[in-house]
Amino acid sequence: METEDYLHLRLDDFLARLAAGGRAPGGGSAAALTVAFAASLVAMAARCSRESWEDAAGVAAQALAIADRAAVLARVDATVWQEAADALGRTAAGDPGLRDRDLEQKLERAAALPLEIAELGADTAALAETAGEYCDGAYRADAAAAAALAAGGAGAAAHLVRVNLAVREGDKRLARARASEQAASEAARRTLSSIR
Amino acid sequence: MSQLSALSDGQLVQRCRAGDDEAWHELVERFSRYVYAVATRGFRLSEEDAEDVFQDVFTRVYTHLGTLRDDSALRPWIAQLTRRVCLDSIARRGREQPASEPVSEEIAAGLDEIDEAFTVREALTTLSEPCQDILDRFFARDQSYRTISDELEIPSGTIASRIARCLSKLRVELEGREPPPAGSRG
Repeated sequence: METEDYLHLRLDDFLARLAAGGRAPGGGSAAALTVAFAASLVAMAARCSRESWEDAAGVAAQALAIADRAAVLARVDATVWQEAADALGRTAAGDPGLRDRDLEQKLERAAALPLEIAELGADTAALAETAGEYCDGAYRADAAAAAALAAGGAGAAAHLVRVNLAVREGDKRLARARASEQAASEAARRTLSSIR
Repeated sequence: MSQLSALSDGQLVQRCRAGDDEAWHELVERFSRYVYAVATRGFRLSEEDAEDVFQDVFTRVYTHLGTLRDDSALRPWIAQLTRRVCLDSIARRGREQPASEPVSEEIAAGLDEIDEAFTVREALTTLSEPCQDILDRFFARDQSYRTISDELEIPSGTIASRIARCLSKLRVELEGREPPPAGSRG
């Protein structure tokens, strides 16, 4: 099953698609794009600070790499979630042809994607914090906004990991998701409190 | 890094001409991914055709290495040779254009990307092992800062700045290089 590439949609078309009432795109895609927005903001703040900040180009390159990855995950997450939801629906309908292993595999994939998004959110928040500290003063508010967005994306994605049926208490993925959410949240709090 | 992999292209050519088998293996190793990428991603040949191109290109390199006038121009020479062999392959299959016609803009853009990637890969090999490792982990293997931190046992908070400094070194290395000769792909 293939979903279309959201990056090729106009922003208002994507928002309409999100609000349309279908299963996908949903929270995972929105979280991924939020992280992509945040990372792009960090790239902007860094690129505008090249003259005063030695590591600016390197931070911008990392932020752009994260934005690219997150944007791709927005599409992949929608595809994977749709497949998992379809499989769940068939199981609920008592389809004897659906093997448990198949459903489990689809749920596993549906958990892996938000975990990746949460980790990208944590990395973006860390970069935003660095940008907030070293970038040109005119862009510090953008860096703070990036940190807040990244933490939001990481938190949303971590929640999607938590509620995935394939993830149980004690699962390593849960611990990683929580750690990412917490790291992003703390980085955002520090950045927001230091920039006023 | 082996001794041979530290040799410049020119030095490698000289060792190959002197009949050094290990140098020849190093030459093939150094350019094999490039030739294969040009065939498969640049010209979109099938795997089977790409294998034939691969064999043909390195056979020609082996046979005609003595005719290369400037030893340091090994890369543009192989690039040109690969392009020609790919076009011959397409012509033989009766697809698209005859070998004498210029490549399409789309293919040319793809070849430029491959050239750029190859240049970056070459420049990467001049950096320290820790720099190569951390850049590879973040940009090629898509590892998170936390994974890098756990695996390399370095503080998570220092990863981004380490990557930034390694990128600065890579940039200096790339800026110090001469651009490939114009029309090096023929």
